[in-house]
Amino acid sequence: MQAKRLNPARRFLAIRGMASAMIAFVALIVIYIVFGLREPNVFSSANIQNLLRSMSKYLIIGIGQSYLLITGNIDLSLGSVVGMSAMISATLMTHGTNPLVAALISLVCCLMIGFINGVLVGKAQLPPFIATLGTMFVARGIAYMINGNRNTDAIASGIGKEAGDSFQNVFYYGKTLGVYNTFLVALAVFAVFFFLLSKTRTGRHIYAIGSNMDAAKLSGVSVFATTTKAYMVSAFCSFMVGLILCAQAGMGNMEAGNMYEMYAVAAGVIGGISPLGGTGLLLGTLAGAAVWQTLENGLNMIGAQVGLQRIVIGVIVVFSVLLDVVVRRGTRKRNK
Amino acid sequence: MGEIIVTMEHIYKSFPGVKALDDVHFELRSGEVMALLGENGAGKSTLMKILSGVYTRDSGRVEVFGQEQGNLTPKQAQELGVAIIHQELNMCRHLSVAENIFLGREKTKFGTLSNREMEQEARKILDDLKIDLDPKKVVGELPVSKQQMVEIAKALSTNARVLIMDEPTSSLTSREIEDLFRIIRELKHKGCGVVYISHRLEELQYIVDRVTIMRDGQFITMMDFKDTTMDAIISNMVGREIKEKFPRVTCEKGKCVFEVKHLNAGRMVRDISFTLHEGEIVGFAGLMGAGRTETTRAIFGADPKESGELLLDGKPVQIRNVADAIRTGIVLAPEDRKKDGLCTKLSIRHNIALPNLDVLCDRAGVVRHKRETEMCDLAVENLMIKTPSVDKDVATLSGGNQQKVVVAKWLARNSRVVMFDEPTRGIDVAAKVEIYHLMNKLKQQGIAVMFVSSEMPEIMGIADRIIVMCDGRITGEMDAGEATQEKVMTLATRFEKKVAIVNE
Repeated sequence: MQAKRLNPARRFLAIRGMASAMIAFVALIVIYIVFGLREPNVFSSANIQNLLRSMSKYLIIGIGQSYLLITGNIDLSLGSVVGMSAMISATLMTHGTNPLVAALISLVCCLMIGFINGVLVGKAQLPPFIATLGTMFVARGIAYMINGNRNTDAIASGIGKEAGDSFQNVFYYGKTLGVYNTFLVALAVFAVFFFLLSKTRTGRHIYAIGSNMDAAKLSGVSVFATTTKAYMVSAFCSFMVGLILCAQAGMGNMEAGNMYEMYAVAAGVIGGISPLGGTGLLLGTLAGAAVWQTLENGLNMIGAQVGLQRIVIGVIVVFSVLLDVVVRRGTRKRNK
Repeated sequence: MGEIIVTMEHIYKSFPGVKALDDVHFELRSGEVMALLGENGAGKSTLMKILSGVYTRDSGRVEVFGQEQGNLTPKQAQELGVAIIHQELNMCRHLSVAENIFLGREKTKFGTLSNREMEQEARKILDDLKIDLDPKKVVGELPVSKQQMVEIAKALSTNARVLIMDEPTSSLTSREIEDLFRIIRELKHKGCGVVYISHRLEELQYIVDRVTIMRDGQFITMMDFKDTTMDAIISNMVGREIKEKFPRVTCEKGKCVFEVKHLNAGRMVRDISFTLHEGEIVGFAGLMGAGRTETTRAIFGADPKESGELLLDGKPVQIRNVADAIRTGIVLAPEDRKKDGLCTKLSIRHNIALPNLDVLCDRAGVVRHKRETEMCDLAVENLMIKTPSVDKDVATLSGGNQQKVVVAKWLARNSRVVMFDEPTRGIDVAAKVEIYHLMNKLKQQGIAVMFVSSEMPEIMGIADRIIVMCDGRITGEMDAGEATQEKVMTLATRFEKKVAIVNE
């Protein structure tokens, strides 16, 4: 039929998942302003800088988990792989290994876990919840054992103060063009995976198997290859966050990344990534991670208790999914 | 034979766009087995669903045990004594026989289950039917035939006196069928009325007393089985009026494009051999469950093959998975578009592009947006898919347009063999005609077209050659010119003899 030209704004919102992402952005702005009115320091440039830096971790793991949610799976091992990454890199550095080499070795180990997840879920057809629950324990176990059930010493003790400082600066304390490097790293990760998901063949396959696995198979999509790629993306994201935590602490902490898999689900879900698969945009994850961090930051600044923070966040997660369900039910009725 | 226990008169029922039942009559006496016969879509199941309370009728009168009934709910029907035993059994596989029989009506004493009492009662029911079965056995571990008997026992435990059995023998072996028939006779002696829906006409002689025949939602005839012949039954089932005009185009039949030799893949694909030529549409007729879908899936590489050879343009081709088939140029527009054909959460663009990403992407795997837009726009234009933009979700399209997207996925690339599995199911007449035109166009382009359909008129109207399947085998082949509905139906019900001699 004749291609009716919708106006640009409506075309933009007609992109699947865009509406939920935009709702999350609006929520973000509202939350930010509400906190700012109660506590003007929220608007200070130092706080904004901090906010951007601390949301970076949630953004990166959120991206990893979003890949899995879009395929209709989940990655519970994500947080443990963060810990593994931090511990492997830190332990190697305390033994004097060059930071770059240490990071590479750590990366390979993390990707192995991602690959194993892919085989278990994509090939052996285990339920993703169970398969990644298993690798979650294994990865955490490795994180414990790597330095003999102890946190590591300061990384500077192995590679020297200068190298140690520069490692910490690159990933956490340093700034480039007035912005914390951590945030720039997160933006780079976001850009790469945004491109991969929206512009490439792999990205299309990820949406397709999440939307309808049978139809995807009958279109020649390899479920195994696609699932594995998604788990490896998630493992890569965990690896990056592991490095960031290692740089922040200047040492390896065995409990690093604890519960991050759940934070990552929350970031994605707040941003409108459907846990049922097939829909969602990384733009939403970006908004979700920001909402999460702004809430935490704002509640902190106005002096709310940690318990209250948790409760608020829990309620918001449930509400965003509830919204998704209600909207979905509404459209289904209209299509009938 | 006893008194009349079920009477249904002037039953009407329509669904959006379809008149499912049109002035249908039905009756059942106690102590008889009434066969309810007709092609797929004749309205048998709809009628029985009204009797068992699943659907409500638009108008008409229903009398059960001499009492006139309003609109029944499934629960009310059950209380009246009407039980339905579905083709797919509804059992809790992990529970025991006794637990299944009393599911939802567990016997309790002071709030705790009285298992012993339930087991005893279950044993009594099973013994009455002379079924040798331990009530403590877990249902999932029993063979299908025994599970079916548990269903029957469950129905009897609720004092059912009208039993509706939908294709009860389709998954049974001959030994098990004999058992089932023995139980059906047992039920007859107890004074139950049994409605027996089956396509296996050769079995009827062993148990059936009367037959009711339906066609196109209408009541055709009711007769005593002993006064009729198989031929009379078949001609009553099929004499279907061909109302629509089918746009047939004639083409020169060219060389053989695709040949399948002795393909085997499980029970539903046995020793399948056929050829597809340039310039012809080959129709695959048969009843539902004849193995046609399974055959297309095995050829397409979606299901594993056991043996057999595929030849494209005379050269053997190896197809181990779907990707192989697509690369070779053999494609399948599957039967159930919601389940197998489309990613309904994605846009038209993403759906059409999905199997064609190999040609749409550059070396690095990045989708070339412009080329993709061209492909999708062209497909939308060629197939006249009604949508304002290719970026709309496929879920927003009508059934007919969704079906066109399923087809469009495959026409955007140069395929040599296109298999259509029930391409017109559930779409309106105008959209059907467009699908026919499309198949004709492919035929004129020299593409081999395989057309699976359970609608006999459209097969006879569109296909140039008709291959009939039954029970996983090809039972006959004929040119469209010499085909009659009777011939096709006779071949489509040519089941392997499972029942030999059953002694009364």
